[in-house]
Amino acid sequence: MKQIIKRTKAYYCVECGKCSGSCPVARVNEGFSPRVIVERALSGMKGEIEGDRELWTCLTCEACTTKCPSTVKFSEFIRGMRSSAFNSGYTSRCSQGGLLHSIQRVQSYRDIVQNRLQWISDDLKTSTEGEVLYFTGCLPYFENLFSGFVNPLEIARSTVKILNKAGISPVVSPNERCCGHDLLWTGNVETFQKLARLNIEMIKESGASRIVTSCPECLRTLKLDYADFFEGTDIEIVHISEFISSLIKNNDIKLNRAGIMTYQDPCRLGRHMGIYDAPREVIKSMGELVEMNKNREESSCCGVSAWATCEGNSKLMQIERLIEAKSTGADMLVTSCPKCLIHFRCAVHNQIPVEKEKVDIPVVDLTVAACRALAGE
Amino acid sequence: MTNIGVYICHCGTNIAGVVDVEGLTQKVAKLKDVSLAKDYKYMCSEPGQDLIREDIKNRNLDRVVVAACSPRMHENTYKKVLASAGLNPFLLEIANIREQASWVHLDKEKTTDKALDLIKMAVAKVRMDEPLTSLSANVIQRVLVIGAGIAGIQTSLDIANIGFDVVLVEKEQSIGGRMSQLGKTFPTLDCSACILTPKMVEVSLNPRIKLFTYSEVEEISGFIGNFKAKIRKKSRGLDESLCTGCGLCQEKCPTKVPSEYDEKMGKRKAIYTLFPQAVPNIPVIDRASCLYITKGKCGVCKKVCPAGAIDYERTDEFIEEEIGAVVVATGFDPFDPVSKEEYGFGIYRNVITGLQLERLLHAAGPTKGEVVRPSDGAIPKRIAFVQCVGSRDEHANKYCSRVCCMYAIKNALLIKEHHPESEIFIYYIDIRAFGKGYEEFYKRAQENGIKFMRGRVAEIFEEQKSRNPVIRADDTLLGMVTENELDMVVLSVGMIPRSDSSKIQKMLGLAASPDGFFMEAHAKLRPVDTLVDGVFLAGTAQGPKDIPDTVAQAKGAASGALEVISHKTLQLSPLISEVDERLCRGCGDCKDVCEYGAIEIVTLDTHKVARINPAICKGCGACAVACCNGSIKLRNYTDSITFAMLDATLGGAV
Repeated sequence: MKQIIKRTKAYYCVECGKCSGSCPVARVNEGFSPRVIVERALSGMKGEIEGDRELWTCLTCEACTTKCPSTVKFSEFIRGMRSSAFNSGYTSRCSQGGLLHSIQRVQSYRDIVQNRLQWISDDLKTSTEGEVLYFTGCLPYFENLFSGFVNPLEIARSTVKILNKAGISPVVSPNERCCGHDLLWTGNVETFQKLARLNIEMIKESGASRIVTSCPECLRTLKLDYADFFEGTDIEIVHISEFISSLIKNNDIKLNRAGIMTYQDPCRLGRHMGIYDAPREVIKSMGELVEMNKNREESSCCGVSAWATCEGNSKLMQIERLIEAKSTGADMLVTSCPKCLIHFRCAVHNQIPVEKEKVDIPVVDLTVAACRALAGE
Repeated sequence: MTNIGVYICHCGTNIAGVVDVEGLTQKVAKLKDVSLAKDYKYMCSEPGQDLIREDIKNRNLDRVVVAACSPRMHENTYKKVLASAGLNPFLLEIANIREQASWVHLDKEKTTDKALDLIKMAVAKVRMDEPLTSLSANVIQRVLVIGAGIAGIQTSLDIANIGFDVVLVEKEQSIGGRMSQLGKTFPTLDCSACILTPKMVEVSLNPRIKLFTYSEVEEISGFIGNFKAKIRKKSRGLDESLCTGCGLCQEKCPTKVPSEYDEKMGKRKAIYTLFPQAVPNIPVIDRASCLYITKGKCGVCKKVCPAGAIDYERTDEFIEEEIGAVVVATGFDPFDPVSKEEYGFGIYRNVITGLQLERLLHAAGPTKGEVVRPSDGAIPKRIAFVQCVGSRDEHANKYCSRVCCMYAIKNALLIKEHHPESEIFIYYIDIRAFGKGYEEFYKRAQENGIKFMRGRVAEIFEEQKSRNPVIRADDTLLGMVTENELDMVVLSVGMIPRSDSSKIQKMLGLAASPDGFFMEAHAKLRPVDTLVDGVFLAGTAQGPKDIPDTVAQAKGAASGALEVISHKTLQLSPLISEVDERLCRGCGDCKDVCEYGAIEIVTLDTHKVARINPAICKGCGACAVACCNGSIKLRNYTDSITFAMLDATLGGAV
């Protein structure tokens, strides 16, 4: 714990409470306070933190981190404490009864054979080797679990279609594994590292020098958390929103008007990676952008991260955000993270404590929206 | 034949605890040209000094080495000893065997060896040192003070009252500075104007103070004792010698714009004075908003002026002044809270800054001292102060601005006294009440029911209908996040360096601290000096401070400047670089590396040569290193001396 405190500069904390005041979880859960967790750590209460269920409640959304006047890296602090708790035998409460984390752990075995590529229809061009690799992430698995209210693979198909439009036939590998984001952020560092090694092997074999992701979590993980492994090579990693916006800038594609849109900044893409403008440029090229009150750095989280702790409070956050989106008068809420999409759709799919009209706004993935708006299709 | 005396100091146990001083003395006594070596418990003591003095006289020493502490401590002491014994003080060398040996090593034997090496080098150097004589320069016995806030005013008055002339330059149209904007002052609650205006009047009446208002220093050249300043006297759009200050022009001017002096809480005319007690009481025409100047229409002020003073076409004037020292008292800017987006300043009308509140509380302010809500003019009953806005914040300024705790408490108390039924909250992280009477003042606020909430405000949002700001903050003592609806919120913004401070910094060659304020020469022992000789700092230009500290520093700066200009001539160190003009080819490499601007390339009949101004040269030696054909020598630090020193320790040549 001493090392975590040192690495995240938690010792700079002056107990001002800016974090807890800015925290979206503390808004709905009075028992949760980033400040108190840090205060306990500084007082040496390792066991108490590890055993506290609130350790798994944090969204690691960085709302506090970007505001902290003492630059304490709170998300990283939570990640470190979770790993320490995991090693002491504690685990998060995975929202799907542990299924998602199990699927991710299974992928860390070298010899498994995945049926990962069935979604590639005849109209899509992909390769087994090449310069550009499309890192699909968990979309094929999500399709199986959440197809009742969302079509995650449409994101994958739209991504490949847009890449094809730019003359790229991306590598899509059956040997790809989960990037390990969720396991890393729920304390299982060992399995994360196994997944990372397998993915790096796969990427090196493909000969790719550029990776496109359609998931901000994959982007963050590959770009920042794999950095140690990637050292020495110069593989460029971009999010699809950056890719599309550069296509638009170069006049390589043109998008038709698709209505008024508001935009949800995913935590990983926005506060973690600082990408705010690219998705907005894509939206502006196919419609009108109306911002929600809380946008860019101030944006609210979709309520769940790393499939840890989905509960009533998560739903409250999602509904509040949807109400905000609806009140902008936009035709749709666009996001660029498959998980934001799943969480928002899930929230309205089930029973909700407010009238349906208040949250009744279509939620669409940015890539899917862009693909639908492709001119000449 | 050289007769060198070497004196080795024990410095109590500081040196003798690690260095074998007796053994060392015996070894040193055997070095070439050393005619005697002695050790003593405290060489800097009077008996220690006498020892050297007597030996110079009785044993005919012609050069001296003292092996003791850093030359920064006692070099001057021993120089004076040499001088008093009739020896040139530049024939002294210090071997620093304390900071460079005994304080930094533990091994007795090796440390003693190192001390011996240091002494050998000093002996090798002193043998070759040339006797030097101090240079002198004439001093212009006047001081330039830049900025006429309370700091510049105090400095100017102190210097003038002692009997020396001051040139006081103020950028704004009146003197008084930030202090004139304040309503009352902590912790005594006396009205700012009541204690400031007497000093302002004193400035205007003092014949020794030459006052330039609405003026800026554009250029400064020269060096300590001999500076030249170019001052731009901006056009006020009228003839100052004719204006009687009757105020008719302001009264009749039809144009109203937000007043910068009132922090946009009130309006002013296009021709205006800052406040009723302005010194001088002469208005300025704001060229950006004057109808006659922008559109060619109006001209009312000209028509009504009984003195016929208005002159729209008037242009700026330039004046040159010669001075011997400069005091920089340029003050601060308040932090602009717009960048702290979570507080909604500039969006929510009932969120204002501490300085805006000062204007509301000021008896001569836009509301004549009544605090009202900007959105509807109602008297706010629930008010919160948000502390540390832009201060103690890695995303804005890391430092504490030192005044915000006390000004918030002061304003809270003033409001509470006016309206005892009002509820006032102060959101703080730590209350810093460090000054005289400040802790007692804090207590008084607690007694009066001001509520202190420990927690940094996370965000402010607005209730749309009422336009009431709502504060969201972690009450860290209760351990719960609270929301508090208020009538008005005051952001206690801190102090930042003035936006134009880099201009002054460049002009004078000053250094800035990491916080952006001008840097003093030594954080503790030279707090009003700068690293530029003859230039001093006063007030908040050097860092955030309150009025008592500002006045104290202003008096210190006055004494610093007086130390320079009270003598007709100035002693300059002769340890400087000199150019052998027979060798110099005028390439200018030396000029490029000189950090002090001491070198000039002059054109002679047939060629160019470098000339060093001895008054500016600090003897750093950069030019001597840069000179490619060895035509520049740093006195007593020549190449041959350096090689001799290296030989003494590495080559065993001694």
